[in-house]
Amino acid sequence: MTVKVEKIEGGTPHNTIMWAGLLAALVCLYLGAGLNVMFNAYTFSFFGGLAAVAAIVWGSNTIKTLCSYGIGTGVPSVGMISLGSGVIAMLLATRFSWYYAPIVAVIVATIIGAIIGYMANDVIMMKIPVMRRSMTEVAIVGALMLMGLSLMATSGYSLLSLASNPGLLGILPNYGGSFIGASIIAVAFILGAIAVQHPFNATLGPSWQQDRMLMLAAECGFLTMIPLALMSIAFLSIPAVIVSLIVSVAGWLYTYGQYLCLSQRDAAAWLDAKPIREPEGH
Amino acid sequence: MTVTPKPTGGVGMNPLANALSIILLIAIIGATYILYYGVNPLIFNALIGVIVGGALIGFGVHFVPVGGAPAAMGQAPGIATGVAMLAAGAGLAGLFGGAFAIASNLGLMTSIIAGGIGGALMMAITCMFVVLIYTYGMGIPSASGKVKVDPITGDSQTEYKSQGTEGHGLPFSSFVGGVIGGFLGGLGGTLIYYALLRVYELRLPALLGAGLLQAPAVVPVAVSLAGIFAIGIFLVNAVLAAYNITGTTEGFHDPKFARFPRAIVAALAASAVCGFVAILVAAM
Repeated sequence: MTVKVEKIEGGTPHNTIMWAGLLAALVCLYLGAGLNVMFNAYTFSFFGGLAAVAAIVWGSNTIKTLCSYGIGTGVPSVGMISLGSGVIAMLLATRFSWYYAPIVAVIVATIIGAIIGYMANDVIMMKIPVMRRSMTEVAIVGALMLMGLSLMATSGYSLLSLASNPGLLGILPNYGGSFIGASIIAVAFILGAIAVQHPFNATLGPSWQQDRMLMLAAECGFLTMIPLALMSIAFLSIPAVIVSLIVSVAGWLYTYGQYLCLSQRDAAAWLDAKPIREPEGH
Repeated sequence: MTVTPKPTGGVGMNPLANALSIILLIAIIGATYILYYGVNPLIFNALIGVIVGGALIGFGVHFVPVGGAPAAMGQAPGIATGVAMLAAGAGLAGLFGGAFAIASNLGLMTSIIAGGIGGALMMAITCMFVVLIYTYGMGIPSASGKVKVDPITGDSQTEYKSQGTEGHGLPFSSFVGGVIGGFLGGLGGTLIYYALLRVYELRLPALLGAGLLQAPAVVPVAVSLAGIFAIGIFLVNAVLAAYNITGTTEGFHDPKFARFPRAIVAALAASAVCGFVAILVAAM
């Protein structure tokens, strides 16, 4: 019934990217939260943004794997279902202490994603071979990404730190001005959804190259970090905000430059009117 | 490389998968009943509210006339964007309307109907400007490609349909379908929001360690948490329904509309899982 339209050509195999993305995201989350706790500081919150970048890079390759089958509804729908299922898993995980939370998020997202994948593949009868696996992966991506962004904005990912701000005097907690209370989580939600679906949506078509898409994914991730760093002014100390801003702006400038070079490389290959390149391998 | 086949599932259903989904649904409802009905019946009722809301969303999306890229080129009828975007727009507009009504303490029925009207209004405005732009901007008459006569007005369609297209513009029935879809989507989204808000208002003050005096201060957290969960569950159900439609649809007179039972089964099970986890956040 469904014919795979474009096969993954060359580049890094999807499994490698998946494990690398999962490990990098988890390590960054633990580094950020752990170092913040250990030094009783806010300075290491930017590791959350790096976890989000790792998750976005993994998620964009998952979306490429799924959408090359032609799902018929457009690439953005996968980004939306990724964050939609991810936010539910992530917020349940925030109930646990910082050393369990990322693992709990992965496990809960796996369960939710597997059930949604089963619904899409068997009940709705999409009959796409990678559907169940991809839905599971994008749910984990959404949960880890949102967890990273909340770590970056508020220096932690426990429900208590997300739902209450110590406030000016530090006596009465300010619930309305917190990450969840002020609905900054909704901004993080939609920033993440756009960042994860944009890379493949923008680079698909003839002469698609994996390295160009992944570089764009990293660029989208660092671009997402910049507004989160600005929003963290409300929650973090000024030095921590400056560190976050420097990391995100530097990362964005580097990846944007790299992406520009890769785009020029592929555009030149196209302008020379060669036949569409069919990379070897895989 | 050049062929772009899309999944073209018929109206058939997979009996085993459907049975498993129903078992999962009953298991989650039963688990919630055993765990929480004794604690507070409100928590159990909230899960039922979320499941019903999810099914309403999954059903409502099938009414929305989605044209996608072909509609932007005047080669297919409908609104020229994807299902997920349209459904999210209608659902979020409905959620805003419903949230205002809930904040004014107007009661459950008034609130969810206010939410439905918010979604219907958003779709009606969208459809009106789509017709204006198609007719006066692009010079495209409205003609359905799936039916010979419009099921509501009885106007003949075939004479106005251009050769080689699947119809174009936004026929009257699709307009009406869009408004019905927006109404159902807004209704479902607001029901989910209302159900979760009641649970969070009940449990969050104790969870966050806020005293009796500070309980009103926790309300923004409950509102935001219920809102983000409503958006998440809404998007999951809308995208599942979009996968069921696969591409373009004209609304309730389209042959693809007959596929809606399997989207409802999927929406019931998916929103049961999501709703259970969303309730656990506060109830655990």
